[in-house]
Amino acid sequence: MISVVAQYKLDVRCEDDVVVVRRKARQLAQLRRLDPFATAAITTAVSELSRNVLVHGRGGIALLEEVSDGTRYGIRATFEDQGPGIDNLERALAGGYSTTRTMGLGLSGSRRLVDRFDIQTTVGKGTMIRVEKWQSA
Amino acid sequence: MHTRYMRILKFDELELASRRAFFCVSDADLQRLAGLRPFAERHTKEVVDAFYELLLGHPETAKFFPDELAVKHVKKLQSEYFLQLFEGRCDLQYVENRLRVGAAHERIGLSPQWYLGAYRRYLEVLRGCLFADYGPAEAVAHLESITRLVFFDMSVAIDTYIAANVDTIGRHQLAIRELSTPVIRVHERILLMPLVGTIDSMRANQIMDTLLLRVVEEQARHVIVDIAGVPVVDTKVADSLIKTTAAVRMLGTQVIVTGISAPIARTLVQLGVDVSTMHTRARLQEGIELALEMSGKTIVDRARVGS
Ligand SMILES: Nc1ncnc2c1ncn2[C@@H]1O[C@H](COP(=O)(O)OP(=O)(O)O)[C@@H](O)[C@H]1O
Ligand SMILES: [Mg+2]
Repeated sequence: MISVVAQYKLDVRCEDDVVVVRRKARQLAQLRRLDPFATAAITTAVSELSRNVLVHGRGGIALLEEVSDGTRYGIRATFEDQGPGIDNLERALAGGYSTTRTMGLGLSGSRRLVDRFDIQTTVGKGTMIRVEKWQSA
Repeated sequence: MHTRYMRILKFDELELASRRAFFCVSDADLQRLAGLRPFAERHTKEVVDAFYELLLGHPETAKFFPDELAVKHVKKLQSEYFLQLFEGRCDLQYVENRLRVGAAHERIGLSPQWYLGAYRRYLEVLRGCLFADYGPAEAVAHLESITRLVFFDMSVAIDTYIAANVDTIGRHQLAIRELSTPVIRVHERILLMPLVGTIDSMRANQIMDTLLLRVVEEQARHVIVDIAGVPVVDTKVADSLIKTTAAVRMLGTQVIVTGISAPIARTLVQLGVDVSTMHTRARLQEGIELALEMSGKTIVDRARVGS
């Protein structure tokens, strides 16, 4: 059973917001004593996914949560936007594909960086992505 | 300064007209104020004295007037300021005059709260004088005209503070941006650019521009970009590093990226970023050694050479 210890809801409307969200994620990871590798991983994933909310999803929100399973702590980050959605999810997750002619590695890379990755997207409605990174056992 | 403020505030004829309309400063008001000029001249001393009595009576504001001479000086300026209310004009020239006064207050650090409080005192004393000199109906009408222009004035003064802040923030941003992309010459034709802090789109562009300019200026063969102070290296930062490397290489110069910590190396690999086009080293020192080695030089340990 996973319980939520604390949660923070942040807007993602401009580039400065991306920095704020990412900084908060790092702060929480350090607070919950994730090791430097896990901290870098979740911070980077949060940076990628919140920038995607801004660039591809026309802005939205990020929900950062400190979570616990009774023995370990973890950080959970949820991103939601009401943007265009992703029509070819498989291709977007494969990596190397971008509709903005950037690297196209944010989605696939984030997925590799975290312990848990869930995505729900509907074309024309928006996208929800949830990731978790836990203290290593 | 005040002309720059006029520009920052976009204070032109259009703005003037709309603001005058909002504060209900009509031509009739201005005429009435011009007619009150003799009244104003009669009471200038009284009003200005009351004004400074208030300011000098409070430590927060008294500190701006260190001695008698300073007080005498500002009283003279204040009298002119006061009489300008009764010139029957409210044009761009008038606004610019008002901005100048506001700018002077801002410069000495007199914050808007004291300015507004002092203006209240102004009106209080004026009201007393008006009711002493005129019948009640007339006094009320005069006071109404004065109030309109005084509130207009206050809006301009508040704008001055805002313009001054916008101006300061702009200058600070510029200074920080320059500070944040220093380029150091570490050896003949070897440059070092230590990066510290968040790299947003604007900084990424600036980093590239600065580096390209300096490479040409110094005819550098090697550039070391140290990213030890960059908190997060995501695909955007990596992308800008790779592009900068490519651009610098077009000038015939090699880029070495240093300050890559173990967590950052692992993160970049997991992201799938291909850094094979860049020379990378963990520590700055190794980067400098590599640059020297590539330019056919080595750092020699003297003790060892001797033995
Ligand atoms: N929140 C989102 N809403 C809509 N489309 C998205 C979103 N996130 C990612 N995508 C799509 O997936 C593609 C790949 O994303 P990503 O791997 O982060 O690479 P990049 O951001 O460089 O394009 C994007 O180009 C975009 O088309
Ligand atoms: Mg992306």
